[in-house]
Amino acid sequence: MSPWWQAHSALHPNGAQLSLIIDRLWSPMFAAAAAIFALVAGALGWALLRRRAAAEAPDDPGRERGMRWTVSLATACTVAVLLVLLGLDISVSRATTAAPGRDALRVVVTGHQWWWEIRYGGVVTANEIHVPVGRTVVLELRSNDVIHSVWPISLSPKLDEIPGKNNSLSLRAERPGVFRGQCAEYCGHQHAKMAFLVVAEAPGSFERWLQGQRELAAPPADDLARHGQQVFLSSCAACHTVAGTPASGRAGPDLTHLAGRATIAAGTLANTRGNLAGWILDPQTIKPGAYMPPIPLAPADLHAVVAYLETLR
Amino acid sequence: MTMARGVALLAVAGVLLGCQDHAPARPVPGGDPSAGKQLLAERGCGSCHTIPGVSGANGLVGPPLDHFARRTYIAGEVINNADFLVRWIEVPQAIEPGTAMPNLGITEGQARSMAAYLYTLH
Amino acid sequence: MSATLPGSASGPDRAPASTDEVERQLERTWRPDPGLLGWLRSVDHKSIGLRYVVTAFVFFLLGGIEAAVMRAQLARPEARILGPDAYNQFFTMHGTTMMFLFAVPVMDAMGIYLVPLMIGARNVAFPKLNAYGYWVYLFGGAFLYLMFFLNTGPDAGWFSYVPLAGLQFSPSKRVDVWAQTITFTEIAALVAAVEIIVTVFKNRAPGMTLHRMPLLVWAMLVQSFMVLFAMPWIATASQFLAMDRLVKTHFFTPATGGDVLLWQHLFWFFGHPEVYLILLPALGFVSAIVATFTRRPVYGYPAMVLSLIATAFLGFGLWVHHMFATGLPALGESFFTAASMMIAIPSGIQIFCWIATIWAGRPRFTVPLLFVIGFILVFVIGGLSGVMVASVPLDQVVHDTYFVVAHFHYVLIGGAVFPLFAAFYYWFPKVTGRMLGEPLGRWHFWLFFLGVNLTFFPMHQLGLDGMPRRVYTYLAETGWGDLNLLASGGAALIAVSVAIFLVNVAVSLRAGSLAGDDPWGADTLEWATSSPPPPYNFAVIPKVSSPYATWDEDDRATDPQRLERGDFVLETGHLTPGTTPVDGHMDEILAMPEESPWPVTLAFVATLGTAFVLANHLILAAAMAALAAAVLVAWHSAEPEAA
Repeated sequence: MSPWWQAHSALHPNGAQLSLIIDRLWSPMFAAAAAIFALVAGALGWALLRRRAAAEAPDDPGRERGMRWTVSLATACTVAVLLVLLGLDISVSRATTAAPGRDALRVVVTGHQWWWEIRYGGVVTANEIHVPVGRTVVLELRSNDVIHSVWPISLSPKLDEIPGKNNSLSLRAERPGVFRGQCAEYCGHQHAKMAFLVVAEAPGSFERWLQGQRELAAPPADDLARHGQQVFLSSCAACHTVAGTPASGRAGPDLTHLAGRATIAAGTLANTRGNLAGWILDPQTIKPGAYMPPIPLAPADLHAVVAYLETLR
Repeated sequence: MTMARGVALLAVAGVLLGCQDHAPARPVPGGDPSAGKQLLAERGCGSCHTIPGVSGANGLVGPPLDHFARRTYIAGEVINNADFLVRWIEVPQAIEPGTAMPNLGITEGQARSMAAYLYTLH
Repeated sequence: MSATLPGSASGPDRAPASTDEVERQLERTWRPDPGLLGWLRSVDHKSIGLRYVVTAFVFFLLGGIEAAVMRAQLARPEARILGPDAYNQFFTMHGTTMMFLFAVPVMDAMGIYLVPLMIGARNVAFPKLNAYGYWVYLFGGAFLYLMFFLNTGPDAGWFSYVPLAGLQFSPSKRVDVWAQTITFTEIAALVAAVEIIVTVFKNRAPGMTLHRMPLLVWAMLVQSFMVLFAMPWIATASQFLAMDRLVKTHFFTPATGGDVLLWQHLFWFFGHPEVYLILLPALGFVSAIVATFTRRPVYGYPAMVLSLIATAFLGFGLWVHHMFATGLPALGESFFTAASMMIAIPSGIQIFCWIATIWAGRPRFTVPLLFVIGFILVFVIGGLSGVMVASVPLDQVVHDTYFVVAHFHYVLIGGAVFPLFAAFYYWFPKVTGRMLGEPLGRWHFWLFFLGVNLTFFPMHQLGLDGMPRRVYTYLAETGWGDLNLLASGGAALIAVSVAIFLVNVAVSLRAGSLAGDDPWGADTLEWATSSPPPPYNFAVIPKVSSPYATWDEDDRATDPQRLERGDFVLETGHLTPGTTPVDGHMDEILAMPEESPWPVTLAFVATLGTAFVLANHLILAAAMAALAAAVLVAWHSAEPEAA
């Protein structure tokens, strides 16, 4: 089964910050942990299983001295290892919290229950963050309701979106690709299905995409799409916005350029006609508890509105 | 218990657990059931239908597709056979005009595989 | 409650009586009343302690069932065993049950049972309060589960973050139920802490200086001080939350001047020490068991005690490491990284001392020692992943993922459940008079050890592969299905191993081999009396002049002689000696109360009052408060007579 994203493991980083953390912090710590566990297990095993004389003097001062020496040495080594790890942590921490610089691209990511509102200045989209490869992007993290957490899994560490607090998360994609992210703070019923995609592309490609997002929705070109727009305005406009039409609802994601996105319902379903139809008619079965109600449509209206949505590139 | 009995029990369990994708009683020429299973997932059929064996296919918009191999009709319109099923999947409006099931642009080859999978559901 | 006798410790002048008659008199005085009413009115620490342990273990089983259902749901992608609403209640109940209703109470309960026996006392310092602590705990936990079965169980996570847990986003009574019922467990924990501290400082057998106390008693004492400083914060936080929800205060609502992070600071200032409340008594069990089964004292007594104390102090300085993803200033966070790494040092010292003890001793591979070995291996893995998440950048990668779930289950199951099972096998003979079966015990150990590792080790990988916590399902496309299936298989093994334990208990209660006073050859005082102990614990208060009281054959030889002489027998009432806090010199004779119905009554009235508050019947709640006042008057009106 081929997913619509490419990667989502923190151990195979595609972002500059995360690469630093994995190479300079995770790998040494993992190696140290494995070695220490082997030492402790080995010492325990030896202590349990070593050959003993039939009867040993209970208070041999030489043995007591040896034990004191060993425990002290082990303690000293523990302190030393921890100091080294602390040093590693501080150096990586300083590198990853360095100021992003003035040419960073700023994107406002606002968490809603259970979708993401993405703004580039005046451009509004949802659930998909496009970034240029090789350029630092600062995600300004906001929340519309409860605490969410933006976790671009294979690109950068995570940071929370906290109502009343303005957090910023820097990321820099090192190569193009489509990378999955996930909400990482329990935020209610559908925390499990609140994912997002980060689409990293070459700078020229990114600029073209951003320019396309600035344009208003093209007017429908044929009868089916026009019929669909009418259905949309009566059934969907209360919650959704399509720029260039009277639909200006803000409760749900902006749909102006829906057809260009890879997924719907915050990364829950691939953006295909079949999924779109099923989602519109019965979102509560796919994502129980989501705030979108079922929209039962007559078959002709269904085909029309789906056709209309497919024109929103 | 003895080794032999343990192995036998495991074997029985294995057979019972593996009894999911056995050969269709109604094979569809040119259709591959495992490819069809994947296509059903990818094309979003599960958003409207409940389909056993397809992860996430829990939809209630359209009828459930369990026991599909044993159903008599498709959409209450035509006899349930391979030809009609493939045609239905490709262009639902040709079988039942005015049906809510959208035309998903599925090719004939893809439809054959999807039908082949549906016919493994006894 | 107390009465001081001038001069002699041997009771008023009387004609010498035979030791049999003296023991019969003690038995008559201390024996609990029979029947259900007698059981409800009991103030004997052993009776309270035993039912406390059993109740906590029942909550462990309930929490385990919740976990099993969750693991069944997560075994495959998009499973339909639990929908999101049910799953969210399940994971909240699992965490709340394990942390509030099992882990801390079971440790307190073991302390309540064992500490008086280990220090040569006849009861805890405040027996009626002790009983009250148990009943409050039982009724609070039962009330929570009643609400859960009525689909009003809490569903905002065991740490209930605002704003999700606030009125706007959790409008039903579920979070109110959580906030109120955890208050009951806080009260019970505070009661147990007061009992342990006062009992340890005031009721030790004469001659038992602080330096001669068993390490388990030290562990319980240090833990109890931690409880006193930690519990008030969760009480404060949960009451602030209850007030925000019920009377519309603005502690946590940013739109009206409140602060969302305030909740996290308050909660975790309690929440981090909470895990050490759970760990420290378990470390005490390990010390007791290692000494007995290596046939020598634990190496480095002063280092062990100082490590316990250091862990307690350091434990209060770590809480922000739960908040590394909230965007706090980096410099401040580094302080907590350093502290979180440093706390590995005292824990490490203890492990080195135990390994040294094993090395220098002659180990006997009984089931308790097997569980101690399991503890060392599993807890160390948890500690190592803990050092990883102590680092801010790395924690920001794995925070709120299954990596953290793996970490805390390794430290909690390794650090608390393994020692607890060891303790059950070790002290079961003392409590019941019969031995638990060794063969079944070995099956239990190996299946449990295998199951724990199979369940939780893959979760490290799952977290790094992108799986967040608290998700009721996941898409097949994520590829998390295989490791989740493996983890669920491990959970099934754990369930089987616990079932084996229960079978072992049931069979051994009826047909286990008789234990006698001291089947293991142990060094602490509880093994110097019968199994099970008589209601008065010791016919003669033991003489203590060394740290390993039961290994001290000279002292133990004097006990029967002193019983004949009537020295420290105190058979004329519910009497026990009171001693000075540090040196253990006797300075008074304390009279203990008899059975009383007021503790259970007060606990019941308090529970009813809380239920009325939750249901918004404030007049009835006020009536319960008045009734509680009346019960308190009755409680204090029946004080024991001066001896």
